[in-house]
Amino acid sequence: MEEISLTINGKNISCAPGTSILNAALQNGIKIPTLCHHPNLEPVGACRLCLVEDEKSGRIMASCVTPASPNMVIHTDSPTIKEHRINIIRLMMANHPESCIVCSQGNRCELRQIAAELGVGQIGLYPMPHYTGLEAANPFIIRDLSKCILCGKCIRADHELVVVGAIDYTLRGFKSRPATVHEMPLEKSDCTFCGTCVSLCPTGALSLKNTRYVGSPQNESSTICGFCGVGCSLVMGSVDGQIVEVNPSHKQDTVNRSTLCVRGHFIHDFLSVPERLTSPLVRTDGDLSPAAWDEALELVAQRLIGIRRKNGPQSIAFLGSSKCSNEENYLFQKMARVILGTNNVDNGSYGSGRTITSRINERLDAGGRVKPLAELERAEMIFVIGANPAESLPVASYYLKRASRMNGIPLMVADPRKTALVPFSSLWLPLAPNSDYAMISGLAAILYKRGSYDKDFISQFTEGFDRYGEDLSSFKLEGVSRVTGLDGELMERAADLIEGKKIAFVIGHGILQQRHGILSMDALLNLALMTGSLGGEGKGLHFLTMENNQMGAWDMGTAPDFLPGRKSLHNDLIRKNWEQNWEVKLSPDPGLNTIRMIEEAEKGNLKALYVMGENPLRSLPQPERISNALKNLEFMVVQDILATETTLMADVVLPGAAFSEKGGSFTNMEGRIQSFEQAVAPPGEAKPDWEILGLLFAKMRYPKRYSSLDKIKAEISDLVPVYSALERNEEQTWIKESSNSRLFHLQGEGEPIHFSPVIKTEPERSDEDYPLRAILGSLRYHLGSGTRTAHSVRIKDFALKGEVEISLEDSAALKLKEGDQVRISSAHGSISREVMLNPDLRPGLIFIPVAFHNNDVMNLIELTQLGEANSPGWKECRVRIQKVEDLC
Amino acid sequence: MAKPKDIDWRELEAIIDKHRGETWALIPLLQDIQETLGYIPEESIEPIAEALNLFASQVQGVISFYAGLSLKPKGKYVIRICRGTACHVKGGRSILRFMKKEVGLDEGETSPDYQFTLETVACLGACFLAPAMMVNRTYFGKLSPPKVTSILAEYGKKKGEG
Repeated sequence: MEEISLTINGKNISCAPGTSILNAALQNGIKIPTLCHHPNLEPVGACRLCLVEDEKSGRIMASCVTPASPNMVIHTDSPTIKEHRINIIRLMMANHPESCIVCSQGNRCELRQIAAELGVGQIGLYPMPHYTGLEAANPFIIRDLSKCILCGKCIRADHELVVVGAIDYTLRGFKSRPATVHEMPLEKSDCTFCGTCVSLCPTGALSLKNTRYVGSPQNESSTICGFCGVGCSLVMGSVDGQIVEVNPSHKQDTVNRSTLCVRGHFIHDFLSVPERLTSPLVRTDGDLSPAAWDEALELVAQRLIGIRRKNGPQSIAFLGSSKCSNEENYLFQKMARVILGTNNVDNGSYGSGRTITSRINERLDAGGRVKPLAELERAEMIFVIGANPAESLPVASYYLKRASRMNGIPLMVADPRKTALVPFSSLWLPLAPNSDYAMISGLAAILYKRGSYDKDFISQFTEGFDRYGEDLSSFKLEGVSRVTGLDGELMERAADLIEGKKIAFVIGHGILQQRHGILSMDALLNLALMTGSLGGEGKGLHFLTMENNQMGAWDMGTAPDFLPGRKSLHNDLIRKNWEQNWEVKLSPDPGLNTIRMIEEAEKGNLKALYVMGENPLRSLPQPERISNALKNLEFMVVQDILATETTLMADVVLPGAAFSEKGGSFTNMEGRIQSFEQAVAPPGEAKPDWEILGLLFAKMRYPKRYSSLDKIKAEISDLVPVYSALERNEEQTWIKESSNSRLFHLQGEGEPIHFSPVIKTEPERSDEDYPLRAILGSLRYHLGSGTRTAHSVRIKDFALKGEVEISLEDSAALKLKEGDQVRISSAHGSISREVMLNPDLRPGLIFIPVAFHNNDVMNLIELTQLGEANSPGWKECRVRIQKVEDLC
Repeated sequence: MAKPKDIDWRELEAIIDKHRGETWALIPLLQDIQETLGYIPEESIEPIAEALNLFASQVQGVISFYAGLSLKPKGKYVIRICRGTACHVKGGRSILRFMKKEVGLDEGETSPDYQFTLETVACLGACFLAPAMMVNRTYFGKLSPPKVTSILAEYGKKKGEG
């Protein structure tokens, strides 16, 4: 379309049709004051400060909501405009309390800034502040609506960005205010405490609740959130070296677009708790006592090398971290493989189903990994399977809700529970736990029978469809209903919704941690291939990764069977290549994964364990078994930021740095590599983890020195083609995919992707002793096992109890009421919880949130290898419930 | 004390169901409920929002914005006295004062027996009838105290009661 040309303040400019006058001015460096405008929100013209005048028509209009039209002659700062603006500001100030002196917004208050720019000091009007009560009962947000100027940014952010709808305007005129439904306090409303409203509020009407008054931060630095796999860009404000406030970054191309979630916004207060480790500790006479760095590192180097000499390289294992940076994970696995000669390396993402995701990696040869979340908003349809991102990865859920509510994209949710996404969905498939593979194959069978599959895609990029088709045509749909509990009609409706569309799949722990994870993965990939839903925008597989650098840790080779670049250790060519890269002979022996490490420790074969940034005693099933296994070790080093259950058992504790206290890079769930710089110094003598590893390399007499982050980055980008962009040190870049599948090649060379056979299984048998099925899942206030989030003062103040949720039917049958204390037992252990009735739960199912009460829920499930045939999975288990008083 | 009309939940559900999925139909739906029950019970906000794919806060925002929609039960007869300029000039203020005394209610109040609600309106748009008022949907103009008394009598309010 042709550009529009107009004149603003005597300057001839041009802009695309439909551009508002305000944006046209901003694009040309002309500043117009605004209070209600935000680039990520729809303009509403509420504050009227952006008034401009058209010389030709004499009209005065709000520039944010007026599109530029040809030949306009606009003045943004004429005497008339100035006068109007001053009057608007005067009126706002007359309605505003004079509490600036105690307002934490301070000089960041936009009302105050604009008043100052316009030279408004004394307003000369009778002050009529509209006092409302101060709401500060929750530990996150203080609402002082007497300072509200009704710009509506909070409401629009709530509706358009976060899509929760907890607040909207209420009443009219002078009394109008943003309010929750029934004017309830925030904690009793739908508010998720994402805090996006707080970050956008131009005045002090909404502010962060801090334990002490801090005013404006002294410093602000950009970084990347260290919690979940979304990888939000943050600005951290600090006072005297302590983080006092976190906001979404002001940059435009971030994954979170001015939103955050409660964790990212409010839970970073765990960074300054007294439980932070501040000096190296060495066990002497049974107790851990502070030691000098040199002494501690010397001890670690000597013991590891000594144990290797005595018991061989297989007796040492390295448990790396899906929370540590790419650089740190690279060094960590290199230390294991190159110096100690073992492939016993893993990281915390094992528990998030790496072995199951691996199946896709294998079948697509690591193709289709770059999957920007933004594509979801342009998809034809979205299929969410086994995922509740509204709790686990809230910012990812905003994309799904926006896609559905704003763009009308059909959303289908398959989940045993009615999750927060269900109200946004076109269809909900409430299937039985662990039956996803049957549901997915059932859908494929219906589509096959209807003849609706992407024939071109299938013939061009795949192989084995004929065989797959035969399997599908003999597939009994009655069987699907029996296994999944979904009736035929619902399945047909689901097929209607998919038919003829390219699907964007969103896959979560419900698949990645479940019993039939591998089967489900295979079925899912078959469905994706059959519908042509791979290799392109708006389709493909989005994996929700629980932790910030799960992808990066894997890419860096912190996994027993993968070398850096996610290349198989068992491929001789690849191993030879890395032998050349590192100038060393690499062990071809398969390494131990997390679970096998524990098993080998139990047997006494594993002698030493180096844990970096993980807390297996809290995050793995059967903590008592883990504890006994770790007691068998001769030597355990734990490098962490907090004193944890695991550091207490260590022989040497090395204090590391949190992400805000060091530089590095993380790779998020989309395949976006984001580099970040240090915001504050680590506490006490703690050091960035890469620095600790670098010092250990030196102690172990490795010839190369890792004295700076740049050196590590350079080595990675040199040797790992997927990360070749890392060295450029840009804030963000993307992984460079390399796959042999022809789907991911422009010229169509390469291998076809194979369909896998359809497997039939029977419904799971019920167990009389344990009649209920417990689903374990996250709540948004904690991440993973909650090691970090449970230390947050705000989370402690919020006093969540982590109640077990029970359906109305089961609670009636068991004579349980809200608040009753119950004992939940499985074949492996038992825990106590309070009861919460959930009318949305189907009978037979209960829900237990993880991370609460030291994550004791891990006692209920068995320590098994995810993805192995005999594993019942970590997502669900069979339990019975008894009222505690009945037990006494 | 008399109670407002009991909420017929089935009737309410039927009204909501009639508009299910019609996000655009929020105001007609609310008017429907207002008309049928005389007010919009707070408990219906969530079901309405769910049926129309809206947020409950949005529904509440619309209800609380319009004077024609009310979250509180109103009397059987809603008296709206015009406070527009023309009516004011013609003595509208005295009519209001007289009415308050007659029905024993202040502006915005509802009688305990849920017979009458007294409201004022910025302008009824019937300036030629000034001073004017409405009872439910009926206009009354060129009011005087005796006329007010006789109109109230029509609606079953005897003088001096209240």
